[in-house]
Amino acid sequence: MARNLPLALLSLAAGLGATWVGARGVGALPPLGALLSPSVGLWANTANDLPERADAKIPGLTDSVDIRYDARSVPHIFAKNELDAVRALGYVVARDRLFQLELQSRAGEGTLTELVGDVALPADQETRRLGMPRAAEARMKTIDTTGALYRILAAYAEGINAYRTSLATAELPMEYKLLQKTPREWLPIHSSHLLNRMGYTLAHSPIELDLLQARALVGDSAARALWDSSSPVQEPIQPAPRNTPREALTALYSPGTPDTSAQRMVAALGSAPGALRFVRDGAPTADERFALQQERAFASNNWAVSPSRSTSGKAMVAGDPHLELTLPSIWYEVHLVVPGAMDVGGVTIPGLPGVTIGYTRAFAWSFTNTGGDVMDFWRETVNDAARPTTYELDGAQAPLEARVEQYRNAKGNVIATDTVYYTHRGPMRKQGSEWLSMRWTVLEAGNELLGFYQGLHATTASAFLDSLAAYYAAPAQNMIVADTAGTIAIRSTGKHPIRANKGRGTDILDGRTRGNDWIGFRTVSQYPQSFNPAQGYLASANQEPVDPQLDSLYLGTDAHYEIWRALQINRLLRADSTMTPDKMRAFHTDPGSVRADRLVPAFIAAAQARQQQGDASASLKAAESMLSAWDRRYTRDNTGARLFETAMVRAMTLLWDEFIPTGKDAAVVRPSESRLLQLVGDAGNAWWDDKRTGDVREDRDQLLARALAQAYDTLVTEFGDPAKTPWTWGTVAPAKPRHLLRLDGFSAPDIPVDGGRGTLNPSTGSRRANFGASWRMVAELDASPRIRAVYPGGQSGNPGSPRYLDRLAMWGNGQLDSVRTPRTPKDLAASDVRATLTLTR
Amino acid sequence: MTTRSIFLSAVVLQLAAQAFGGVWGAAIAGLLVGLALRDRGAFRIGFGSALLACALLLVFVGARGGDVLTFASMLGGNFKLPGYAIILVTLLLPAVQAGGIAGGVSRLLKAESSELRAQN
Repeated sequence: MARNLPLALLSLAAGLGATWVGARGVGALPPLGALLSPSVGLWANTANDLPERADAKIPGLTDSVDIRYDARSVPHIFAKNELDAVRALGYVVARDRLFQLELQSRAGEGTLTELVGDVALPADQETRRLGMPRAAEARMKTIDTTGALYRILAAYAEGINAYRTSLATAELPMEYKLLQKTPREWLPIHSSHLLNRMGYTLAHSPIELDLLQARALVGDSAARALWDSSSPVQEPIQPAPRNTPREALTALYSPGTPDTSAQRMVAALGSAPGALRFVRDGAPTADERFALQQERAFASNNWAVSPSRSTSGKAMVAGDPHLELTLPSIWYEVHLVVPGAMDVGGVTIPGLPGVTIGYTRAFAWSFTNTGGDVMDFWRETVNDAARPTTYELDGAQAPLEARVEQYRNAKGNVIATDTVYYTHRGPMRKQGSEWLSMRWTVLEAGNELLGFYQGLHATTASAFLDSLAAYYAAPAQNMIVADTAGTIAIRSTGKHPIRANKGRGTDILDGRTRGNDWIGFRTVSQYPQSFNPAQGYLASANQEPVDPQLDSLYLGTDAHYEIWRALQINRLLRADSTMTPDKMRAFHTDPGSVRADRLVPAFIAAAQARQQQGDASASLKAAESMLSAWDRRYTRDNTGARLFETAMVRAMTLLWDEFIPTGKDAAVVRPSESRLLQLVGDAGNAWWDDKRTGDVREDRDQLLARALAQAYDTLVTEFGDPAKTPWTWGTVAPAKPRHLLRLDGFSAPDIPVDGGRGTLNPSTGSRRANFGASWRMVAELDASPRIRAVYPGGQSGNPGSPRYLDRLAMWGNGQLDSVRTPRTPKDLAASDVRATLTLTR
Repeated sequence: MTTRSIFLSAVVLQLAAQAFGGVWGAAIAGLLVGLALRDRGAFRIGFGSALLACALLLVFVGARGGDVLTFASMLGGNFKLPGYAIILVTLLLPAVQAGGIAGGVSRLLKAESSELRAQN
C-alpha cells in the first residue's frame, strides 16, 4: 500500500488534471480537449463541408427549393416564389458564413463584448454612443409587420435560424468553438444593425475637428483653403463638358496667425476620445494615425462604356469595391431565380437579404462610396454640465432623451454602463468640456432593401436607378449601371443634406437655434448623375461627384474625396475606344499611377537641383538614381515604388510642420495629398519652409530632396542595401487578407499584387490595416449578361474548408472567373455541379 | 484474455468513447480500463489505447476530406506553434487523461485488495 499509493495518486492527478485542462481550460489556456477532439472539436470542421447531396427543412417554406452549387461553390437558388428564395438565401449564407453573420450584426449593435469579451468594449461604446442600436430599434418599430420589407427580413431570418438550429455541437463553426459560444437566434433587427455598420464604415468622416485644429494653428484663411474647399483637380463623376480634367492649381494661402476663437474651442474640446475623436482612428502617435488613414483604403472604382466604345457594340460595366480584406470575404456570391419574377446574381453581404452588387438578365450594376459630408455637429448648451436633462433651443429648454446602455461580457455580466443623451438632432456626447450633438444620415436610413427588391424587377438601367433612388438613403453610393439596350448611367444616390444659409457642414454650429439645422435633402434631380453621356463612358473612384463650377450646393470638401484614381481611370478610358471585357479586367490591377506621374518628377527635379547646388549626399544621389530608373508603375516586381511611397510620407511630415502644436513633436492634422499639386508648382511658397530649422528658409527643392534622402536611409535600415536585396514591391507591400478575429493561422499568406496608393488597386497589407478590392466584376451586356468576377478568399467561412481560400490566387493575379448564369437547374452541366441542396418545409 | 486482446478491446472502447463523448469520453474510458485491469499494465494500456484511438479518429477526419496536416499548421499558426505540435497535443491529451486515470484507479484498487488480503 505504502509503495502503491503515491504512484496511484500521481497517476490519477495526471489523468484528472489533463481532463480538467482539456474540458475547462486554465487561465488563458482554452479547453484544449474540447477544441482538439477529432470528433467534436476543431478537427471536425475540416471534413468536407459541402456534401454532394443534402436535404434540409425550413419551417416557413411554402414550396420546395432546389439549390445547385456550381464548380465555384456559388449556390444557384431555384425557388417558386420570392420569399422562399429569400429563405433559401438565409439558409445558404448561414451554411457558409454563420459566425460572420453574428459578428457583423453585433458590431452594428454594439454587443461584440458578449461574443468576444471585454476587448471589444471601446468599439461597442462607440457604436452605441453614435446612436446606432437606438436607430435600428426605432426603425424596426416603424416597419409594418405585414409589409414587404418586414416579410423579407423575417423570411431571411427563418432561413438562417433553420440552419442554425440544425447544427450539432461538432458542426458549429470553429470560431464559436474557440470562443466557447453558441450561435444566437437571428432576428429581423439584426439586418438593420448590419446596415448601420455599413454606414459607419462608409459614411463616417467628419472633418470639423481637423478644420478647427488647423484654424487654431495657421489661421482661418489658410486652414479653409486646405480643408474647406473643393478638390484642386476636377474629374467629377457627373462628366463635365470637356475632354480633360479641370485643374485649379491656385497658390495656397500661406500659414497665418492662429485663430484665437478656434484655439479656445480646441482647448475646450480637449484631446480625449469623445464626439469628434473616434476609436477606430485611435493610434499611439499622430504619424501612426495618418498612416492608418492612408492605409484604410476605401478606394472603390466603377466604370461603364457605351456600345460606341466597345468592340462588341455592347455596353459594359465594371466595378471593384475596396473594403477591408477579411477572411471570409465581406461578400458571398449567390444567384436567385424565381421564374417570371426574379433572376439576379452577384454578391450579398451576409446579414442583408439581397444582392448588393451584381446583375439581372437586363442589366448589371456596381457601387462606389460617394463619401460626401453627411454628419454634422452642434455645440449644445445644457442645464447641467454633469447630468444634463434639458438643452437650450430657440430660447426655451428642450428635454433630452437619456438612454442607458449596458455592456455585458461573454458570461452575461455587466462590465460597463453608459448614459447616451439625444437632442432632436441625434445623439449628444461630451468632448472635453463641451456637449456636442450630431445628425447623421445613416441613423435616418432603413428602407434600402425595398429599393433593391423593386429595382430587381426593372428592365432598364434608368428604372433600376429610379427604384433605388426612391428608397435608398445611406450610405450614399455612386451607383453605376449598364443594360442590354446599351444604356449606361450613374447616379450618386443617398441622402445629401442641405444646410441652412448655404452652410457647408465643416464647422461646429451653435445648437441653441433650429435656424442652424439641416433644412432638407437634395432631391433626386439634384443628385450628381449622368445618362448616356456624349463621351461614351462613365467612371467613379470616390472623387468629388460634381464640379462645383456646375453645382455649388455643398456635398463635401476635398478632404472627403480622392482625386488620383479618378484621374487614372479616366485617362485609361479616354485613351481607348475599342474596349473589351479583358481590357476592363486588366484595369482592375493596372499599375499606372497619375499620382506617381505627377509627383515623381518633382522629387527627381528637386534632387538634381540640390546636387547641382553642391549637395553631395550619397543617399540623395542613390535615391535620385533609383527614382529616375523607376517607370512609375506599381508592378509587383518593381523596385522603385517603395522609395517613392516612403519619400511621400516623409515629405508630408516635413511639409506640414505648421500643424505641430507648440510643445509637441508631431502634427495633429495633415491636409490631403492632392494639395501637393498646388504646391509643387510654387517653389517658394511659405508652406515649404520647415519652421523647426530656425533661420534657414527651405524651398520646395530643399524639402523634397531632404525627404527623398531620408526615405532612402530609412529603407536601407529597414530592408537592407537595395543593391543586394532589392526593395521589390510585391515583397515589401503585399496584400494580406486577415481572419475576422485577426487569428494569424486563419489569415491568408502574404500575396504579392500589382498596384499601390494612387493606382486603381491600392491594396495594403500591414499591421495597421488590410484593404483592397473586395470584389471585382466585369459585365458585358449582350442579349444576356456575360459576367466575370472574383473576390479574395472563398465561399466558405470555415478555415478548415478547401473552399476557404480557393479564389485567392486568382484574385492576387488579377484574373476573373466565369460566372454561371443558369435560368433553370438543367442549364448547369452535371460536371459543373459541385453539390445539390433541397430545401423543403 | 491476452494483453493484445485487452489492448484492442481498450482501443475499441476509446474509439467509441472519444467519438461520442469527446474529452469526457477519453476520461470515462480510462476509468473503465482502470477498473477492469487492476494494475495489469493499466497505465500503458489506457495511454496507448487512447492515443491510438485518437490517431484513428484523425485518420477518419482525413478520410472524410479533411487536410489534417495543412489544418494542423493553420491551427498552430494561431498559437505560434508548428503543426506537428498541434497533432502531438491532440494525441497526447486523451492519452494522458486515459492513462493517468486508468493507472491511478488500478493502483488504488490493487492497494486496497492487497490490504484486504493482508487483513485476512
